[in-house]
Amino acid sequence: MAPPFAAAAVSSHPSLFSPSTSRPAIRRHLPPSSISVRPRRCPPAASAAAAEPAGKLLLEVHGLTASVKETGQQILKGVDLTIREGEVHAIMGKNGSGKSTLTKVLVGHPHYEVTGGTIMFKGENLIDMEPEERSLAGLFMSFQAPIEIPGVSNYDFLLMALNARREKDGLPALGPLEFYSVVSQKVEALKMEPKILDRNVNEGFSGGERKRNEILQLSVVGADLALLDEIDSGLDVDALEDVAHAVNGLLTPQNSVLMITHYQRLLDLIKPSYVHIMESGKIVKTGDSSLASHINEGGFKSIASFV
Amino acid sequence: MSPPSLCAAACSTPLRAAPPPLLRFRRPASSSVSVSAARAAAPSVSDDLVLRIAEQLEDSAASSPLLDPLRSASALSLLSTPWPTRRSNEAFRFTDISYLRSLPISLPTQTPGLAPPPSPDAESHIIFSDGLLVSASGAHVAALADMPPGVARDRAAAALAASAQFSHRDIFYDFNAVGASDVAVVYVPEGAKMAGDPVHIMFGYSGSDGASMMMSNPRVLVIAEKGAEVAIVEEHFGTGEGDGGCYWANPVVDIIVEEGARVVHSYVQRQSSAAAHTKWTTVQQNTSSTYEFVEVSTGGRLNRHNLHIQQLGPETVTELSTFHLTSQNKQIHDLHSRLILDHPRGYSRQLHKLIACGSGNGIFDGNIQVNRYAQQTDAGQQTKCLLLSPKAVVNVKPNLQIIADDVKCTHGAAISGDLDPNELFYFQARGVDVKTATDALLFSFGAQVINRILFKPVEQKALAQLKELLTLSRQSN
Repeated sequence: MAPPFAAAAVSSHPSLFSPSTSRPAIRRHLPPSSISVRPRRCPPAASAAAAEPAGKLLLEVHGLTASVKETGQQILKGVDLTIREGEVHAIMGKNGSGKSTLTKVLVGHPHYEVTGGTIMFKGENLIDMEPEERSLAGLFMSFQAPIEIPGVSNYDFLLMALNARREKDGLPALGPLEFYSVVSQKVEALKMEPKILDRNVNEGFSGGERKRNEILQLSVVGADLALLDEIDSGLDVDALEDVAHAVNGLLTPQNSVLMITHYQRLLDLIKPSYVHIMESGKIVKTGDSSLASHINEGGFKSIASFV
Repeated sequence: MSPPSLCAAACSTPLRAAPPPLLRFRRPASSSVSVSAARAAAPSVSDDLVLRIAEQLEDSAASSPLLDPLRSASALSLLSTPWPTRRSNEAFRFTDISYLRSLPISLPTQTPGLAPPPSPDAESHIIFSDGLLVSASGAHVAALADMPPGVARDRAAAALAASAQFSHRDIFYDFNAVGASDVAVVYVPEGAKMAGDPVHIMFGYSGSDGASMMMSNPRVLVIAEKGAEVAIVEEHFGTGEGDGGCYWANPVVDIIVEEGARVVHSYVQRQSSAAAHTKWTTVQQNTSSTYEFVEVSTGGRLNRHNLHIQQLGPETVTELSTFHLTSQNKQIHDLHSRLILDHPRGYSRQLHKLIACGSGNGIFDGNIQVNRYAQQTDAGQQTKCLLLSPKAVVNVKPNLQIIADDVKCTHGAAISGDLDPNELFYFQARGVDVKTATDALLFSFGAQVINRILFKPVEQKALAQLKELLTLSRQSN
């Protein structure tokens, strides 16, 4: 486990999303001459070039296959993916190619069953861990369609999530009053209405409010690796900028983001070091952000011919 | 067979000596004729237990000219009403009320107990102690016996007399009518708005030694005149030592909502674990009136609530939310609600929620009648039940009877043994383990209804109690 570099006021958990005002808002990455992702059909030239100094290994997925538990339908058909500290990855791909399933499988969604392959997160086998253990280990997924939880206030929910983390770190639980100053800053940073905290989790939230609320949770509990599943869908341009700004503000050289998106717009705001193309349950191509602009112009067809 | 011998044979319990009970039902001269007539016509219908209790109640209540018409009507009705059983009475088909027969009935003395009355949370308040009206103070609040002659008193008297004609009554309604010694009256005159300043009605029950079940019959009448707005908060609780003892609370609340008036009604029942609680709430809603009701029932060994709402004019708004929690073994919670719509453009929403733990039993019979002239009615009803143990039982019977042909009516019933896995996963994905998430979700299941109580002190109390009961039931599991 990484040493606690960010001695945060609230969570001493080594995570990005604790107070981050003094950090550079946007980091530029080295051009991805070092390809740390190895799709099966990866051109040999790319892996040969992997000689650059790289961050510590964070997530390592090998030959991951997974299917829907109820029907047995296979969705992931051998995913390989490596993410190191401080990297920003983007996955693009057609609808139904398995992007969302990949993130859900990573966080242990009960709907899916892993049928093969390995997932190592910070040197630990993720597959053996309960979803809450994965979260406490530093993995965060923003839901594409967050569900409503009637009767549970957003404030209480955030406090429970934070206290679960604090308990794991051996810190005393925060009381509702102490928590207020912590959370109100984060709400402000996301340009959200303070009364969003009094409302029930996602109940009656607009699409944009739900997305912002996911990022609010991320900023409160923190994560070493944030999996952001289409945080740009349903957001208007201003809202997208707010969310992207928040995510950028939360990034540090030690933690990483894996985002799923269909649109260049998000990638302009949160600069990826790597872009992966997913197709039929596999990562078929990896490149730098130029890959994304290529898709933006010519669609996925152009990539197929490119490959 | 002569009446005295019939009764002598039946009333051989030590509680009751001669004279025979039937002869004691002789309040107005006219009714004594009807009594004997009824007896002669159908002697087999007369139920000894019912008569015994009625007689005890009649003995205890002092005569009051304003209450007497209602009392005699109920006394008469009791003569021919048998004790309801699951087999004989559809309204009690799923509700086992044999607990009420487990001990003889005793009645509170006319002087209230020595226990100091609980301090009310609101300026306007009514306090009952073992069914006896101890204090009624604040704006528009009075004891019927103390009301000066005038409009308010006349209206109250008329309403009570009209209650004598209430056709959906059962023995509990009648017991209350016979046994209520006084009536607390909330009379809100035309146009008066006091929804922000609720009338807090506290019903404390102390129970008795354990050899008998102390029965109390508090009664409240609420009249909101044209355009008036009022909030009332009912709290029923045990005041005895420890858990509060064994008693039988049999309260009745009658509410009249006149044209354009609004009544916001909260009702919290947290009786002792050995208590029986049989409750009637009747509501009459006139044109364009609004009635909002929130119930939270967690206490009592046996709890039965009859909620009866009658529409008297078009464009009424009715919102009903109830939450029942059976947290102890063999606890019974029963809601029988009936909403009768006879006029156009009524709007109603009903939400009933129930958590059954241990070997608890929950019953819900939600009847909505949309009659011929109730066109363009918009009625919605939903019930959600959670069964947390294999021995828990719920009997749910949501039913819509629709005769009008241009209406929008929906109802839904969901009974589940598990929480929504997607909700649990959302918590887990944020690092919260299943146990903590379950606690939070169960709490929120009830809180969703409790949060609708607009009177903060009572809402907070109910939330704290819910938390406590869920913790206890988890430990016992």
